[in-house]
Amino acid sequence: MNDGSVLRLNNVSVALRRGRGDMVPLLDQICLTVNQGEMTALVGESGSGKTLTSSAIIRLLPRNARVSGQIWLGNTDLLRLPHGEMRKIRGRDIGMVFQNPLAALNPSVRVGAQIREAYRLHTGESDHAAWVRACELFDEVGIANAKKRLGDYPHQFSGGMRQRAMIAMALACSPKLLIADEPTSGLDAILTRQILSLLTRLRHEFRMGVLFITHDLSIVQKYADQVHVLYAGRSVEWGSSEAFFNAPRHPYSRALLGALPGPGQIRLTAISGALPDPEAMPLGCRFAPRCAYHKAECDWCYPKIDNKGTTSVACGRVEDIVSVHPPKGMPSPQYFRSANDGAVILKIEGLGVDYRLPARGILTALTGGKNSIRVLDDIDLTLRYGECLGIVGESGSGKSTLGRAILQMVPYDGSVIVDGIAFGRMTRSRRKMMRRRIQVVFQDPRESLNPRMRIGDIVAEPLRLAGEREYREQVRRLLDRVGLHARILDKFPHAISGGQAQRVAIARALAAKPAVIVLDEPTSSLDVSTQAALLNLLKDLGHQDGLSYILISHDVAAISYIADTIAVLRSGRLIEVGATAALLAVPGAEYTRQLLAASFLYGKKGTVQLAVAPNSGSMGIPS
Amino acid sequence: MIRMILTRLISSFFTLTILITIVFFMAHATPGGPAFSILGQKATPQAVEQLNQKLGLTASLWRQYVMWFWHLLHGQLGYSYLLNRPVRQLVGDCMVNTLALYASAMLFSVTLAIAIGLIQGITWGRWPANLIRLLELCFYAMPTFFVGTLMILYLSVKWRIFPTGGISSVRISDPGLLDYMRHLVLPVVTVALLGTASLSYYFGASVHEELGKDYVRTALAKGLTFRAVLFRHVLRNALRPLVTMVGLAFPYIFAGSVMVETVFNYPGLGYLLWRSALSQDYPVISAIVLLIGCLTVLGNLFADIVNGLLDPRERYE
Repeated sequence: MNDGSVLRLNNVSVALRRGRGDMVPLLDQICLTVNQGEMTALVGESGSGKTLTSSAIIRLLPRNARVSGQIWLGNTDLLRLPHGEMRKIRGRDIGMVFQNPLAALNPSVRVGAQIREAYRLHTGESDHAAWVRACELFDEVGIANAKKRLGDYPHQFSGGMRQRAMIAMALACSPKLLIADEPTSGLDAILTRQILSLLTRLRHEFRMGVLFITHDLSIVQKYADQVHVLYAGRSVEWGSSEAFFNAPRHPYSRALLGALPGPGQIRLTAISGALPDPEAMPLGCRFAPRCAYHKAECDWCYPKIDNKGTTSVACGRVEDIVSVHPPKGMPSPQYFRSANDGAVILKIEGLGVDYRLPARGILTALTGGKNSIRVLDDIDLTLRYGECLGIVGESGSGKSTLGRAILQMVPYDGSVIVDGIAFGRMTRSRRKMMRRRIQVVFQDPRESLNPRMRIGDIVAEPLRLAGEREYREQVRRLLDRVGLHARILDKFPHAISGGQAQRVAIARALAAKPAVIVLDEPTSSLDVSTQAALLNLLKDLGHQDGLSYILISHDVAAISYIADTIAVLRSGRLIEVGATAALLAVPGAEYTRQLLAASFLYGKKGTVQLAVAPNSGSMGIPS
Repeated sequence: MIRMILTRLISSFFTLTILITIVFFMAHATPGGPAFSILGQKATPQAVEQLNQKLGLTASLWRQYVMWFWHLLHGQLGYSYLLNRPVRQLVGDCMVNTLALYASAMLFSVTLAIAIGLIQGITWGRWPANLIRLLELCFYAMPTFFVGTLMILYLSVKWRIFPTGGISSVRISDPGLLDYMRHLVLPVVTVALLGTASLSYYFGASVHEELGKDYVRTALAKGLTFRAVLFRHVLRNALRPLVTMVGLAFPYIFAGSVMVETVFNYPGLGYLLWRSALSQDYPVISAIVLLIGCLTVLGNLFADIVNGLLDPRERYE
């Protein structure tokens, strides 16, 4: 095996035993290669089995799992190794970087000690040698003042720094293979870019293979050499990154790329339906029930693997698809609406918010020492009727606080004026009334729906509060408007999917007949394909129904897809406000430029190359 | 850390003041009075009046309260009406017994709970953990007096291994030490069983929870053995809820002590509190409540300090 590959998975399958019942197959015949000094991106939505694959490689599967196949690390088959030998491989030959470094580091052990532990375990070096190595690693991953920071605890690091520390730990014994499992989810665009560049530099420097696991295709293109797309535990398409992004061949890959938001797109491709239940997988192609090119034979034939093209695809109908719909660049016509001169519905003037720190002692509390931080300062914004205002910023920029101030949930100075009336000047009862005019949709749809209430009652609540009697029909209409079937009325929130739950939250907000809806990261907990459907819905509600809303997000791509105006926020101050098209074309501030550069890693700026799958409605479905 | 301890001590001073004030007035507000307990129910009104005058109970309630508080600030707890001994001496003697009983019971429970909890946490969802859970529930649900009575019935009366009670006749001097400990065994086991049952379940649950966390996976991915992960990483984090529970357990210990001490005829604080409450021996009641209050505050403070040592995140708040 001297073909330069570090890791080779050969027909790896994993099944889990559920209770005393049957084995449920979760991974099916995965073949995957990571070459020395290269990065292979393993891409899939939640439930596709990508984390299971990484657990199988380091053999840390749950105890009820069964693996078959071969996993070659160099010349050793990891699945045949005894436990003791496997333990020596972990950390020494394979380094792991996990998602959410705050949880992945032990909160009560100093970061330095956690890195030293990894090094000493495999080298048997002295504690001092391990400390020197840890300093070296911190320098390597770009953490300044290494000697001091090594003595800190994980919670004293910022999000990006924690992930760097985590990478330092994985590199401690200079492994041949680094498995990075969603290392950038939860980080904002600029940090994501930094981490990816760091990984790229390190793998060249150490001639290390990297298996990069992610759900986000958009960040893969620039950094990966190979791409491997998983769907429901099966490989659907794999090949070189260049070939893949030039011409994705599998319907699922094409739909995924089409679901990535960007500016100037008319419509995102939403994939209808949901992942199949692992206990009742389709017999043939697992994507068949959601596939736009679906044919009868797909249901019962194991998909044929086609190696002839630029990428390998597990689809029997590749030839037909490519001939029917060659991927084409999406034109970006005069799509953006010109500056709306409708009536001003919400005006924010000189808004500022102070965050009071808890008193440090009785004395300071009594003397009223200065104990607050200004988290928002001097914000002026205008929202016109039927417009979508997007607020972007990295974590900690104060964008959520701005949303809360508009919702009258935090004390602020300056004024928020709705329909020409300032909130500050209202009587208490009037203020209460006016609050109803501004509704909110939160990030986590499940957390924001009462688990003990039925969907119908959740949506009906604002109507009942408004004193309406005949709300049944209205609830139906609202659900219809957000694209939900009336069947959902009697269900409880846990019984519906994340995307559906978010639609319910929107329907509830609409029920109050608000002037403005504030959406705080409404799509960031959703999968790409679900996110696309939701963004489409928001766009429709804005353009067709004249809904005015404020969209708060760290995701510039998503915002640029629907917002008419974009406001860039940093450290509590407005950096720039402008019409979307203008702002994207000629960003004024340096920070905006950086943010945009970090956000559009996929495709060319402005015109995102798109493969339009025919299930987007307007085009016919090929027979 | 020191600032936190000082702040807590100052605020507990106010808490304790409120506590003993409430207890003082509640004790005095109940009908009857110590005179009846001392002189008997058939005492003549004149005799009662005379005794009350002697005890200083004829003055207004507020005046009594101020006097009592004033003495308290000078470290004087007064005399027991009923037993005619200084309260300080009375409570002191009983406290030694109670502390001997509960300190050893606590030590047993915590050690056992950690051992059992670890097994339970590791095997969560499989038969060893389920079996442990069942036993924990049984012992948790069993009333103290029932366990105590059973033990006396079998271990003392039937098989004559341990004495039924009467520790008060034994002195803690060199030759008597072994005998003293023999007297302690049954009450300690009774208290420890209940303590172990509840503590081990909570500890087992927190070991299970910690084992499911991401940092465990990270530690395993480094190549550590499961044992190393358990003792170097998991144990420390899992101990925090246990420490909080132990800190909070102080008041319950004294509430429960009334039962155990009565069953074993054990001269501890609980036994004394029960008797004083029946005869409205105000100075003794107040002193014991104050003592329990102090121990509760100290118990919580202890839990917070240990948790601060275990978890750096607690230190910076």
